[in-house]
Amino acid sequence: MTMLSRVAERLYWSARYLERAEDTARLVRSYAHLAMDIPKSAAPGWDILVRIQDADQIFLDKHRAFNETNVLGFLIADPESPGSIYSSVGAARENIRTTRDVLPKEVWEHVNELYLYTRDYAESSVGRRHRQQFLDQVISRCQMIMGLIMTTLCRDHAYRFIQLGHLLERADMTTRVIDVGAGVLLREERHLTAVDPLIWASLLDSLSALGTFRRTVGPQIESDAVVQFVLRDRTLPRSVHFCLDRMRRELHPLKNRAKASRLLEGARRSLARFPVGGASRDELHRFIDRFQLRINELHDVIVESWFLPPEE
Amino acid sequence: MPRSWKSYQSKDFFDELITAKGQPRVAARRAVNLLSGLTREEVESRRTEAELAIKDMGITFTIYSEGKNIDRSWPFDIIPRVISGREWKQVSKGLAQRCKALNAFIDDIYNRQKILKDGIVPAETILESGNYREQCKGVSPRFGVWAHICGSDLIRDKDGKFYVLEDNLRVPSGVSYMLENREITKRVLPELFEHYDIRPVDDYPTRLYGALSSLSPRSQRRPCIVVLTPGIYNSAYFEHSFLARGMGAELVEGPDLFVDGDDCVYMRTVDGPERVDVIYRRVDDLFIDPEVFNEDSVLGVPGLMRAWKAGNVAIANAPGSGVADDKVVYAFVPDMIRYYLKEEPAIASVKTYLCMRPKERDYVLNNLDKLVVKPANESGGYGMLVGPHSTQKKRQEFARLIEKNPRNYIAQPTLSLSTAPTYINNSVEPRHLDLRPFILSGRDTWVTPGGLTRVAMVKGSLVVNSSQGGGSKDTWIVEASK
Repeated sequence: MTMLSRVAERLYWSARYLERAEDTARLVRSYAHLAMDIPKSAAPGWDILVRIQDADQIFLDKHRAFNETNVLGFLIADPESPGSIYSSVGAARENIRTTRDVLPKEVWEHVNELYLYTRDYAESSVGRRHRQQFLDQVISRCQMIMGLIMTTLCRDHAYRFIQLGHLLERADMTTRVIDVGAGVLLREERHLTAVDPLIWASLLDSLSALGTFRRTVGPQIESDAVVQFVLRDRTLPRSVHFCLDRMRRELHPLKNRAKASRLLEGARRSLARFPVGGASRDELHRFIDRFQLRINELHDVIVESWFLPPEE
Repeated sequence: MPRSWKSYQSKDFFDELITAKGQPRVAARRAVNLLSGLTREEVESRRTEAELAIKDMGITFTIYSEGKNIDRSWPFDIIPRVISGREWKQVSKGLAQRCKALNAFIDDIYNRQKILKDGIVPAETILESGNYREQCKGVSPRFGVWAHICGSDLIRDKDGKFYVLEDNLRVPSGVSYMLENREITKRVLPELFEHYDIRPVDDYPTRLYGALSSLSPRSQRRPCIVVLTPGIYNSAYFEHSFLARGMGAELVEGPDLFVDGDDCVYMRTVDGPERVDVIYRRVDDLFIDPEVFNEDSVLGVPGLMRAWKAGNVAIANAPGSGVADDKVVYAFVPDMIRYYLKEEPAIASVKTYLCMRPKERDYVLNNLDKLVVKPANESGGYGMLVGPHSTQKKRQEFARLIEKNPRNYIAQPTLSLSTAPTYINNSVEPRHLDLRPFILSGRDTWVTPGGLTRVAMVKGSLVVNSSQGGGSKDTWIVEASK
């Protein structure tokens, strides 16, 4: 099957944006739950959600304070924030609109519906009253679209580039989720051990991994075990290890993959070597920073190896 | 029967569904009976359903305005336009004949120019036309076919007869709406399909694929066909993508293609370059190759004309096809049919007076109040005189213009457009419409059963263009009922 470089690029991005929309919705949903459980005095603050998107600067250009309304408005409905659910869905739709000829027809219909839904409801879903319902809708619609792709698309190049985008974004988001945990706790050098498990549980929940964690690791939620699980579990579809493993599989049938494969192996090795148990929270944070650079680099190599050359 | 159907009347025009006596036409009887039996609420709910389907299917056309693209949903009227199979047979025959003659003409113009030498068509009108492409001289596309996809606009006059108003031979659009309209009608009026044998339109993409693959320069089981689009900002992008999908072809933009040292066209894929056999271009020919035509074009592919002339790639429609798509040339189509095919035209053209001929000019000047005068080289209704609606002053102005430059003007009798019942806020009112069937030519010629019916949604208006408030209807060719 022929796959145009330009189409591959747009499929890759559409998958990244869909994943980003879903992950942002998950994170906001879990974090908002958490905020209700934690005493105001110990609350970790809403700024964390903006920081994990590395969007502080864009945020501060528009808002003075990191309060609930500002932050959630920014993450859910702001058309100028590239990481907002609204923008991500819009960008996914734009990419799918221009590649719909290689996808099953229903994919476009569902993405278009998702777009119309976020366009109509994002703004009014920033407040607590309708937020949960909106986030649930976004998450389940994104899952429906990915499910549709998984169950109907041939395992050809189109599928491959969708998977690459989707897995790369997911790996990136999962590391950011860990970073939130580390970041929150890093700030709380005061001993709020009662709050710790709540935070980690919420983060696990955002990855739909809380139940699995309890079953496979145990009911006690403790930070090293969580980090270990989320980074390195072989069976958890949102673990970093899992994402890298699947990317390796998707790269395999592609021509011209040497450079990308080399980078991916490097990332896998560094993930395997990181001593979770012995690391301080600061070390964890620095590891994640470095790891995210690797992910960015992998993205650059994918662009250079398979997508259209930039116009002269 | 709700009052609006009973009192429905289309005075002074031919109505597609209802006779002058207020009775449904034979072919339309069952549809009218069913629709007129619906309560207001049922009509409303079906119209809503159609609107939702259009939104969900993402059927849009794009209007570019104020630096922003606006996707508008396609305005659709749920009452189908019904035409009997027997009547259509004749129209279809006429269209195929017409298209054959037009292709023979284009091929002749870029090669031997016999028709000019024989004085059937005056040479200077053709060679000085803005649509004549000197760069295409001497090229002989396969089967002598240049305009592989033709969209002809038909209207029905008061006498109930179909007339060809113009032939679009460059990049005619609208066929995807024809297909989607059927899809919507199936969703919202499924019971009608039980009582009718409606000729299906769904196989258009397959037919198009067949026509295009017959042009391939290489003999392969599955030639590589691409649809070349100017990109997402083009108003017909939806259609480009729709057709590519329907044919299982790649939808490409200029930068996806390149011409290599071997004068072959390749596309850039994740597996490396891949040879292209047939390009269905939806880019105007002045933009397809910056080396030959508009040098600033970023929509085209440098070297494409070279590859085409070398016979290494087929382009549909062939560059230069537009030479036959012009108001003066239109007047000669009946002569072309007689000249090339030795047949009489099977479908009527609108009587056209060429002001360059003294006798016809005199007639035009004496009858300006009855005629429509059009400049030969303008399109889109610019610089027109509609006699019956004009002022004395305007007519005098046109008389001067015609005398000064007779070659530049043609005139036609004022025709009326037929009407069909259309839902307008809860009642049924007559609205004017036209019809654009599509004719495919490759190894064989094929005409769509029906075509795209466009409706002027504004009362009394004759403007059916989607950019100006036009809508559309599903068009049915029905076989005689059992």
